[in-house]
Amino acid sequence: MSNAQQFDTRPAGEHASEIAVESPLAYSMHRSGAPKVKADTRVTLRERAFLGHLTLRGGAIVLDEALRDVLGMSLPGEPLGLVQASFDGPAGECSIQWLSPDEWLLIVPGGEEFDVERRLREALGDAHFAISNVSGGQTLLELKGEAAREVLMKSVAYDVHPRHFPVGKAVTTVFAKASVILRRPSEERWELVVRRSFADYTYRWLLDAGEEFGIGVER
Amino acid sequence: MSQPNRLKTGGRVDRSRQLTFTFNGQRYQGHPGDTLASALLANGVDIVNRSFKYSRPRGIVAAGAEEPNGIVQLGSSEAGQVPNVRATQQALYQNLSARSTNGWPNVQRDLMGLVGKLGGQFMPPGFYYKTFMAPASMWLTYEKYIRKAAGLGRSPTENDADIYDHRHQHCDVLVVGAGPAGLSAALAAGRAGARVILVDEQEEMGGSLLSSRESIDDAPATTWAEKVLKELSALEDVTLMPRTTANGYHDHNFVTLHERCTEHLADIAPHVGGRRQVRSRMHRVRAGQVVLASGAHERPLVYAGNDVPGNMLAGAVSTYIRRYGVVPGNRLVLATSNDDGYRAALDWSEAGREVVAIADARQNPDGELVEQARAKGIRVIAGSAVIEARGDKRVAVAKVAKIDIEGFKVSGPVEELACDTIASSGGFSPVVHLASHTGSRPTWNEELLGFVPSPVKGMTPTGGAHGVYALGKVIADGFKAGSAAGEACGFERQDASLPKVDERREGAAVALYQVPHQKATLRGPKQFVDMQNDVTAAAIELATREGFESIEHVKRYTALGFGTDQGKLGNINGMAIAARCLGRTIPEVGTTVFRPNYTPVSFGAIVGRHCGELFDPERYTAMHQWHVENGAEFEDVGQWKRPWYFPQKRRAENGERLETMHEAVARECSAVREKVGILDASTLGKIDIQGPDAREFLGRVYTNKWAKLAPGRVRYGLMCKDDGMVFDDGTTSCLGENHFLMTTSTGGAATVLEWLEIWHQTEWPELDVYFNSVTDHWATMTVTGPEARKLMAELTDIDLDKDSFKFMDWHEGNVAGVPARVFRISFTGELAYEINVQANYAMHVWKKLFAHGDKYGLTPYGTETMHVLRAEKGFIIAGQDTDGSVTPEDLGMHWAIGYDKPNSWIGKRALTRPDTKRTDRKQMVGLKPKDPSVVLEEGAQVVFDPNHAIPMPMKGHVTSSYYSPTLQSGFALAVVKGGHQKMGETVYLPMVDGQVHEAEIVSPIFLDPKGERQNV
Repeated sequence: MSNAQQFDTRPAGEHASEIAVESPLAYSMHRSGAPKVKADTRVTLRERAFLGHLTLRGGAIVLDEALRDVLGMSLPGEPLGLVQASFDGPAGECSIQWLSPDEWLLIVPGGEEFDVERRLREALGDAHFAISNVSGGQTLLELKGEAAREVLMKSVAYDVHPRHFPVGKAVTTVFAKASVILRRPSEERWELVVRRSFADYTYRWLLDAGEEFGIGVER
Repeated sequence: MSQPNRLKTGGRVDRSRQLTFTFNGQRYQGHPGDTLASALLANGVDIVNRSFKYSRPRGIVAAGAEEPNGIVQLGSSEAGQVPNVRATQQALYQNLSARSTNGWPNVQRDLMGLVGKLGGQFMPPGFYYKTFMAPASMWLTYEKYIRKAAGLGRSPTENDADIYDHRHQHCDVLVVGAGPAGLSAALAAGRAGARVILVDEQEEMGGSLLSSRESIDDAPATTWAEKVLKELSALEDVTLMPRTTANGYHDHNFVTLHERCTEHLADIAPHVGGRRQVRSRMHRVRAGQVVLASGAHERPLVYAGNDVPGNMLAGAVSTYIRRYGVVPGNRLVLATSNDDGYRAALDWSEAGREVVAIADARQNPDGELVEQARAKGIRVIAGSAVIEARGDKRVAVAKVAKIDIEGFKVSGPVEELACDTIASSGGFSPVVHLASHTGSRPTWNEELLGFVPSPVKGMTPTGGAHGVYALGKVIADGFKAGSAAGEACGFERQDASLPKVDERREGAAVALYQVPHQKATLRGPKQFVDMQNDVTAAAIELATREGFESIEHVKRYTALGFGTDQGKLGNINGMAIAARCLGRTIPEVGTTVFRPNYTPVSFGAIVGRHCGELFDPERYTAMHQWHVENGAEFEDVGQWKRPWYFPQKRRAENGERLETMHEAVARECSAVREKVGILDASTLGKIDIQGPDAREFLGRVYTNKWAKLAPGRVRYGLMCKDDGMVFDDGTTSCLGENHFLMTTSTGGAATVLEWLEIWHQTEWPELDVYFNSVTDHWATMTVTGPEARKLMAELTDIDLDKDSFKFMDWHEGNVAGVPARVFRISFTGELAYEINVQANYAMHVWKKLFAHGDKYGLTPYGTETMHVLRAEKGFIIAGQDTDGSVTPEDLGMHWAIGYDKPNSWIGKRALTRPDTKRTDRKQMVGLKPKDPSVVLEEGAQVVFDPNHAIPMPMKGHVTSSYYSPTLQSGFALAVVKGGHQKMGETVYLPMVDGQVHEAEIVSPIFLDPKGERQNV
């Protein structure tokens, strides 16, 4: 084992459901509102809050093996890669994304991150690696609709043309005056992984940039 | 209303619709398709402005971006004011309202004109430099009046009602200019499958094709343009952007475009479907290849009186007739040095108005167009030029004479021809501006009589910009350039299928810039070179006589090509005149540097949406909403918004009032010292460190020892740069044998993480350790004060017994039902628990603490109180009490330095240098003002002898200073030379207002030096 102290940050026990949980956008939606999706809405925004986010550091070979063992998925084969897989468990899907030569972002259904981390640690044994739970520190935003790419062109310097940003690509890039992780999991969907403390700025920027396209927020 | 100069037919305006507009308060009519300039000419408006320096009446000269005179102030409301709009580029819209930028009280009767007339002789180049420079201090006063008298438009005094934004664009091939070359280039690249952006600054794409006399494939040139545009718009990856100027060409094919989205519709962008739309937009393009098809500007001839309204460019005359259906006068005299100029005379004659004569500078003009003119019976005077235009507010007479170009003299008798318009053509100058932005100086081509762009990596000039002017050749050249650009981006070369264009036989042009006059340039009537900046040929000659030989100096001395003009019309003529005066050739003189922007860009477009609430990111903690709802005043710490203090309501004589900061801070301090307070400390940087070598790594980046810190324990650490100076501090906790959690200052979070990565990646890659930022994952709340334990006991399952959960321990458990790591560290000197929970649950825990805290007097406090409390304990803040020149020893923190650690650590070597061991270094001490009511100013200088003659030797300065409600006195932290050895001594702090404060040097720990309050 890695002699690291793993810590389950989610409340457990019979009263756990009574504990209020607030996503990084809770205050933003309260203050800036969430425009409804209308007939002429050309871009929609949705927060996929409370997912399990784990940063994995280590060598690609050992991490890839552990990931296959635990989740039945491989690391992306090349830089800027994003791999999605179905999650064998309560809810849906998980994804793993290249961040840097020894760094990946694993997103699993909310509440699964502690168990996934534990199983990965077991599988990794004595290898040198690090896993950090960052689930409270970031959130996933989803952009959909025909104008999604135009909203991104107003926000990021990175080239988001389909020839340059195909499905399965993911980058960390400048977003207005903040930074985001930008991913393209499918033809019609873009994802932004946003740091909690910058989420409000990012949200307000997106509402503003999307105004001309009648942006709507799905809740 | 009549439009006396509007033709019944022809042109691309829609005569079925009328547009009303006002110019200088007068109402006029125009049509959709007009520019403001064409509409003014249609209405017979001669004077559009007064000139910048001499206040001479000026009219429209050109039909495009090179227009020097038709510069107007646009906008009917104050909020919609736009200065520096070129009338030639502004599309006409209903109710457009424009004014001249110069002229007082108005352009028709201008008082400043007297200054121009009388003062003309007294205003040589460098006039302002020479006249107003002494005394230097008065310049600001002079300038105010000079600006009022001159100036080019004014900025609005109200907030802009519009929004603007940015868009990032990427393409394989950016084609600048949608004339014949650009269209053809875009077609070649687009057909190959490249991502193409085609931009054009005009309302309509087509460039010179829109006013061409020539046919393509036996049809009007516009038909071909329409066909090409149709094909281009059907290609998915081709973007067509009219009304968009490529304004700046920067390194690595980064080009900034200015798209005017609604400026052709109204002053202020109309809403669409109830939504705002942007008025203009800056596109930031990263292009693989740039095809520069920016065309060429016609050069006017420089002759006396060439600025009187009615003097125009020959090409502009053609454009107004053919594109806008406007003949800008009745009787034309054409002065030309080439065949192209003849188009104006032919168009004029075909429009049914009189061409008085053509003064052709060539001895034997014989091109096809010349023959056409002669066939129409137009009088051609070979070997001659218009040497002077006469007229007051409009040209009345053209003085024509034979000239000797080589000898620069008039060689025959002067004939006076009555006319109201003089068109001139001195040939073409390729528009090299954009290429020059990259730093590449254009090259003179003697055959073309013009500068052409020098090579720029990834850029291909084509068509007019390349010095290719014949239509068929332009289209072929464009296609070749577009195809090559596509190929350079990895696409297949395209075979050209070029349209049929009849070749025209053209006579050679002659090099003519300044036309000689009977009088010497310096004595004769003014010959204008740069009309926007009122620079004359005489001014350039004078500048060269006064010793300005470099063209860059001539430019600055005379203002040639300054400002919004950027030398579009006059630069080449100016250089030619300088060359003549200096006895050099044009390439020897060279060009000045053309700079971005090509034409003015509204500030709004540069700013985009980075204004107001979106100016800069505001970072919020998970408890931010609570802080807002509880009336916090906020302090900016980096991009974070941190509660500064929480003012409460107080009773006042008439109702209630809010506490002052001083009152709030005193209350918050007392609450912490006497009861219990709570601070949102989430902004502190938090770095998760894992790996078998984590401990070793800590030992190398911190000055103190980490070998024996056991899991469950916390230690304070100091970090130095390799120069031995403190740069950050914080606590680091041992979570597991191979696992640590480091905290940093709020501002230092990103820097420290980078610092760790740099040392790990470059110096110690052999250490097995990883760092991850977890700052945003955890929310941190500090519960501190004598009652803290009691409050915590109500909400946690952690054993809080002082012997099992000691100072500098951390334990895990639940707080308010949420898993938490709780750290017993203290930045206040009181009993303290720092609760860390996953941020999504933080608001719940925070509110629960308040639900239980009321009976203990739980008080929220902000950064100001935090500062007072920590300073009372002598705890430093890196960056406030240190400034990159302070060592751990200077801070008196010898206890935090492990000189005997087995491995070296960052800063160790520097700390053994004699300089860092000096005993008279500035050292951290406490200062206690003799008068307890005094709060010393932070930054105040410390002196030992207040009676010393000025300048007094400065011995130190105050780094932190507050009023302490606990000590009932002001107190301060300071760095003082040799301070550690001066305890009890008196120092002095002379203030700006003459007061001198006295203070005693004391220990920086003002309260509880043994730490008994925090150790309970």
